Amino acid sequence: MTSNPKTPSRFRSRSDAKTPLTPSLISSFNAVSLGSPRKHGAAPSHPADLSNPFLARSRPASPVKRTTSGTTTSQSSSSNAGVIRKGGIESRLEVVSHDYHPPSRPELKRSRSTPSTRERTISSSSTHPDRFITTREDAALPSSLSSGATDATAGTATSSPGHTARLANATGVPLNKRVLAYHEAPPSSSSSTFLTAQRNLARPLYTRDALPSSNGTSTSKTRRVPTTPERVLDAPGMVDDFYLNLVSWSALNVVGVALGESTYLWNAESGTVSHLGDAPGDTYVASVDFSGDGAYLGVGLGTGAIELWDVGSGTKLRTMAPSSDAASGGQVASLSWFSHVLTSGHSSGTIHHHDVRVPRHLVASLHGHTGEVCGLRWSAGGEVLASGGNDNVVNLWDGRGGDVGGGNARGAPKWTKRNHTAAVKALSFSPWSPLLASGGGTSDTCIHIWNITTGARLHTYHTGAQVTGVHWARDRKELLSTHGFPGNGICGGPRGTQAAPAQTSKLFEIRDAHDSRVLFSALSPNGEVLVTGAGDENLKFWRVWEAKEKVRKGKTGSGKEDGEGRSGRGILGIR
Amino acid sequence: MATSQALNRQAITLKGSTNLVTEFFKYAANTILFQRGVYPSDDFHMVKKYGQTVLVTQDLALENYLDRILKQVNKWLSTGSVTQLVLAIISKDTRLPLERWVFDINLVEPPADSTEPAPPKPESEIQAEIRYILKQIVSTVTFLPIIDDPTVFNILAYTHDSADVPADEWVDTDPLAIEASKSQQVKLRSFSTDVHRIEAMVAYRYEG
Repeated sequence: MTSNPKTPSRFRSRSDAKTPLTPSLISSFNAVSLGSPRKHGAAPSHPADLSNPFLARSRPASPVKRTTSGTTTSQSSSSNAGVIRKGGIESRLEVVSHDYHPPSRPELKRSRSTPSTRERTISSSSTHPDRFITTREDAALPSSLSSGATDATAGTATSSPGHTARLANATGVPLNKRVLAYHEAPPSSSSSTFLTAQRNLARPLYTRDALPSSNGTSTSKTRRVPTTPERVLDAPGMVDDFYLNLVSWSALNVVGVALGESTYLWNAESGTVSHLGDAPGDTYVASVDFSGDGAYLGVGLGTGAIELWDVGSGTKLRTMAPSSDAASGGQVASLSWFSHVLTSGHSSGTIHHHDVRVPRHLVASLHGHTGEVCGLRWSAGGEVLASGGNDNVVNLWDGRGGDVGGGNARGAPKWTKRNHTAAVKALSFSPWSPLLASGGGTSDTCIHIWNITTGARLHTYHTGAQVTGVHWARDRKELLSTHGFPGNGICGGPRGTQAAPAQTSKLFEIRDAHDSRVLFSALSPNGEVLVTGAGDENLKFWRVWEAKEKVRKGKTGSGKEDGEGRSGRGILGIR
Repeated sequence: MATSQALNRQAITLKGSTNLVTEFFKYAANTILFQRGVYPSDDFHMVKKYGQTVLVTQDLALENYLDRILKQVNKWLSTGSVTQLVLAIISKDTRLPLERWVFDINLVEPPADSTEPAPPKPESEIQAEIRYILKQIVSTVTFLPIIDDPTVFNILAYTHDSADVPADEWVDTDPLAIEASKSQQVKLRSFSTDVHRIEAMVAYRYEG
């Protein structure tokens, strides 16, 4: 009864069926097609042949495909060719121009899901052998997939019923079912797969090796270096001068700090601070260095004089006046002890050896620099002395020149290296191999590792920041460097071994250790803690290298007890 | 007496059975979403269920979505209105259905001899059957075609006409069937409680 609104227009024009079949329609239909208003039942053949060449011969004969009089719901099983039912109603799908008629199908109970499946199927298949034309049918349909479930009739009907019918037959699901879906689409994942893929690609960049994290350390899996200092001490008046060396840590676990004119000692065990003394006049302290046994402190002044203080009693023992020669004077930017010899490096580029035991303390002078000698370091056994200057030169001097034994090459360094392109302040001898590490300033940022005896450059590390200090680890093959601009950080990593690859293997990096350049640094006698000082007037203590064998139970108490008699690790920790 | 007891047990187990089946759907859906990569695998965490570890999503939005759907499915199950549940995986861009995981829900016919109540199925056995199905779903990865494009899923419910459908929540839709010529079907194991029988099948799109 219901019309067939879904019939594509193509067919519609031919079938010309928009309304239910009624005799009047049929007659009009006949009239149109045959060109003469003639009742269909009457002898159709002739008119059909004459009037419309396009219409197949069978056309008049075919009208009664499946219909019985007056109703389209009931199925007539006529095979239509040549069968003329008297008074039969032509099916509106009668538009056959081919002889092919699809097998008549049992009329399905007209239900929501199959409003006019049959007719459309047949009509379509009559002209198109391909049955599977769901999409086209769908395109012709008004899409009503979004229609509410209230319109139940329209709902399933408009969603490719032909396909549904076929599917139903295929899957065996009876057609009086409804296919429902939840009205909301499922949520997309909160982390899109694209992003996670990118994240995975980028992961190597922010783990361990390459870019350090923005605020903390990037450490290896095996070891974590704390990013926060163990302790922070206030250091008001600390001069923000790259060329000075204002921090030293004695073997007796005392930290000496020069703040402006004054020198202070901080006892790491007791935590007490004592004011040692002040620089006389209007000069300032340019460098401090403890003697090897920690009993004496050498204080270099801006005038070029050096004071010698007794740490235990806190008294000044002597003042070694600067040499009268102005050309070889200038502020004592660097000091280094070897047993009884205190070596000073001056802003004029001269290096003086002073024997502190004798009145005429100046025992030797070394002229190897044209710029201020800001880095000075004796090797542990006193064999060599390394000096670095503002002229970007690293000199290695024979330690025996001067007072200690008679060397021939007194005036000339063992070797001179000009690889650095900036002032060399960071110098350190490796405790476990004959290596010297030197670090350059802002325009250089390189750390070179030299073989002491041959002078060969073994490794170079590009740190990317001004190197203000280097320290070797005592118990492992690692090197630590403190930096100034940019980053103000501390980096450490395995260095100095054959296996150590060049730049990228940074074990840890502490970015922004200070608010300004980390200019001064010293390693504790047990090699675990690094103290750093900067122009931001802070002294920070970092636990960089944990003792390997000792199990740390805690900072207080126990550390002291089990280390009482032992040198090395135990008690020499910070309280 | 016996019959009333049986009835009592029957009544109880209907609700229990629907809960069991709903729970199974939840875990099966999660497993499928994980195995087929519809959601990133990082979103899933492992829980112990049915005597083995299954992966459940941690994404709250997805969990809520599934819960809402399954709550309604639960209601339909108890009234016996839903006959089939389909999880269709379609490509996000082309909306082409790539896979259909079809779960048929049938009601277990009471035994012909209804005077004697059948012994209830032990829970362990039901759990074992569910375990097998879940393991089998995981193992389908071996033959299912690899899906590289981003996909979304849709859960379709086949219900009776007479089902009580909350009109604003569920809409009639296209069954998202795979093209008949390109579809391959594999029937998976089934499990049954005393009341429901769930059969699983996966149909996937296979070219060539």
